[in-house]
Amino acid sequence: MKKKSILTMLLAIVLVFSLVGCGGNGGDTPSGEEKATLTVVNWKDYGSDDPDFIAAFEEEYNCKIVNLYMSSEEDLLTKLRTSSPGELDVCLPNCTILTTAINEGLLMEVDVSKLKNFDSLFERFQTQEDIWKDGKLYAVPFVWGSTAIAYNTDIIKEPPASMNSLFDPQYKGQIAFRDDYNDAVMAAAIVTGQDPNNPTDLNKIKAKLLEQKSLNRTYWKTGDEFSKLFAGNQIAIGMMWSGQAATMKQEGQPIAFVVPEDGAIGWVDNWGIVSGTENADLAHAFIDWMISKDFQYNWASTGGPAPVNQEAAEAIDPEYAISAAMDEESLNRLYFMEYRSDEVKRAWNELWTEVKATN
Amino acid sequence: MKKSGIISKAFVIFALIYLYTPIVVLMVMSFNSSRYNQMPFDFSFKWYQDLFQNNVLIQAAINSIWIAAVTGVICVILATLLVLGSQALSGRLKNSVQTFMLMPLTIPWLIIGLSILLMIRALDFEKNLFFVLAGHTVISLPYSVLVLQARMQSMDPALEEASASLGANVMTTFRRITLPVLAPAMVAGGFLSFMISFDNFVLSYFLMPSGFSTLPIEIQSSIKFGFTPEINAVSTIIIGISLLCLAIVGLIMGSSIKSLFGKKEV
Amino acid sequence: MKSKKQWLTAPGLLVLLVFAVAPLFIMLYYSFLSDSGAGFTLDNYKVFFQKSFYLSLTWSTIKNSIYVTLISLIIAYPLAYIMAKKLKGIKNIILILIIIPFFTNQLVRVYSWLIFLQDGGIFDAFLNSVSIIEGSLSLLYTRKAVIIGLVHAFFPYMVITIYLALEKVDNALLEASSSLGATKLETFRRITLPLSRPGILSGILLVFVPCLGTFVEPRILGGVNGTVIGTVIEDQFFEIYGWNFGASIAFILLAMVLISMNVLNYLGREK
Repeated sequence: MKKKSILTMLLAIVLVFSLVGCGGNGGDTPSGEEKATLTVVNWKDYGSDDPDFIAAFEEEYNCKIVNLYMSSEEDLLTKLRTSSPGELDVCLPNCTILTTAINEGLLMEVDVSKLKNFDSLFERFQTQEDIWKDGKLYAVPFVWGSTAIAYNTDIIKEPPASMNSLFDPQYKGQIAFRDDYNDAVMAAAIVTGQDPNNPTDLNKIKAKLLEQKSLNRTYWKTGDEFSKLFAGNQIAIGMMWSGQAATMKQEGQPIAFVVPEDGAIGWVDNWGIVSGTENADLAHAFIDWMISKDFQYNWASTGGPAPVNQEAAEAIDPEYAISAAMDEESLNRLYFMEYRSDEVKRAWNELWTEVKATN
Repeated sequence: MKKSGIISKAFVIFALIYLYTPIVVLMVMSFNSSRYNQMPFDFSFKWYQDLFQNNVLIQAAINSIWIAAVTGVICVILATLLVLGSQALSGRLKNSVQTFMLMPLTIPWLIIGLSILLMIRALDFEKNLFFVLAGHTVISLPYSVLVLQARMQSMDPALEEASASLGANVMTTFRRITLPVLAPAMVAGGFLSFMISFDNFVLSYFLMPSGFSTLPIEIQSSIKFGFTPEINAVSTIIIGISLLCLAIVGLIMGSSIKSLFGKKEV
Repeated sequence: MKSKKQWLTAPGLLVLLVFAVAPLFIMLYYSFLSDSGAGFTLDNYKVFFQKSFYLSLTWSTIKNSIYVTLISLIIAYPLAYIMAKKLKGIKNIILILIIIPFFTNQLVRVYSWLIFLQDGGIFDAFLNSVSIIEGSLSLLYTRKAVIIGLVHAFFPYMVITIYLALEKVDNALLEASSSLGATKLETFRRITLPLSRPGILSGILLVFVPCLGTFVEPRILGGVNGTVIGTVIEDQFFEIYGWNFGASIAFILLAMVLISMNVLNYLGREK
């Protein structure tokens, strides 16, 4: 009797779950197998997985968009290196891996003539150095943004004027610094008066970061952590991305974002077409859509990062642009991140690990 | 006796409160309208409404359950065979089997996932669900094995020998003697493997063919900018269904549930 | 019969061989590659032992795991004992109740701890309302918070293994012992404890070993001092292209576990 009930139970469990599983699998089998599938590697919730966009694009080009998510830039590089030809079509590298990806032949040349919106990009983004190699275009700028200072306007009345605010003892216990070797080193370089992209005195940076350590409430790693700590009143000031601060503000948080006078960290995300794709035309159409005025305007004005499309940028309400640090003045204060060799990355990462490991 | 009974019950209740503290918090937050779990609490069904329109998330949850269930069944079978078979091994060999089996427990899953990916690439295979299941099986197997081992090691081998010497064949001995002893551990081991696989991110992440997602992949990918309480809602539903099933099974089977996890009380 | 029986291990071992051991050799190979691509080297292993902070991180990670294992044992053993020996009808329901919380995602659970433990959070509010304390306990971002989170994540494994071992102990044996005049403590020490030893050992392995590599709880609940060796390995793979070094740390960890396991085994046999 006992054995039977156990066996029946096990069988029942297997049956139920396999039924659920089959039901699930049946659901996503498309009726027309002929449709081309465009596989996009991107951050989650970063434009290309917006349901409205997907619906519109799939309708227009009679295709299917599949989003794969990346968890870091290095991880994207791993994905590109280990994918089989044709597995991935489009991806979104930033400067930290772009040069490597181009040099290793992981990205194919982009045909500018197929992008009717390329000419509406800001001049500075069209001529951005790392997207070109030997006069050929390998990546198309998508959005830019800054990693600077966000603060709680209920607690801090005077906007922080300097990156030094994150190193200021008056905010002891209320600061959330970012747990990221690049941002940590660059921020400390700004404060110690060095070139954030080529700091010479790493010991000084380490000392500065160690000195800052006890002032923190915590180091945050994900945007999720920051927003929950902020909403729970655990922190008053911290390093933050422009886009997320804008989103939080729209959700009703008392948050303001500022690029301080002494500068902050800037970054650009670029679309690249993966070598070996069988959907090159579709990939161009996708990128063209992503940098179009309408798409860029809609996303930027609803809490996204800053647009590279000049027409889109000009259409945005100037007041909103200032609050989201998308304005010209903020832009000019930024030190845009540059490509770094593996040795530099390792050295910076080791420095940051040592800071975190020292009690 | 009475007094110790009360202390026992209090201890069990204390342990359950500890276990369910974060679960209650996450359930409560699924009904809170704030996206950032902000207090004060403001009741809302918003996240459930969002969830029911979010086909990607629902599909991912279903995929997770399916993969975990298959992994659980495979692990129970392999673990039972492993534990039964390793009894017949001599001391040193048994030790090496044990060490061997513990490797997936010690090496970070990240590295196991990445190495399997490198291996299938080196052999020029495409990513597919078979490799996902194989990866999940490898990391969940030690849990089933250790649970079964805890049960098996204290079993008296004389029992099996006696049965054999009385003329029972191998199958009969297994069915009448070994299986009843092992059954509770098989069920528990299956549940643990299910649990490990259901919550695993990194193996699925590296091995999943494109267009196929699981709940942990969706959650982990969301944390860069923040996941919404839809995730809490989905977890609440899963926990709710599990508790409901438990209650129904408890009511219907009544006393016979006792035999599910242990020998009958005499 | 015995000689045939050992072949039962074949399918399991085959799966482990193909999908755990073989791929790991690829990683082992990486751990001896030099970063510059110039052939084989021991540098990745040397760096680990040369920089004192890697060693101190490893040590503090081991210490954390020991605390977590001990506290888990303190909670799990009595719980398993009560379930196996005191509760009659509902013990299976309780066993399932212990597993069900883990049908949720680890990250979501840890974030719930964060919400619960934060200053002025639910726990503080509760303690204030029943006037146990005033103000805040300031638990979040301390080692205590990390331990609370880790024990929560791991002790159920121990409950299950110990319960399954104890549940098999024949009650008649315990009764016989006490009828022969043994005190409760003596019965426990001489009969119950030895018979539950396989369960305890399995449980310790299932708590201590995975605890060494974990990083989610320490990082989210531990604040600025939440770095553990698991975080370092993770960063080598996700933040920089440091596979060689990341793999070597993992193998150093593996070696430590295997050595300590064999020592445990050896000590166990001496008894």
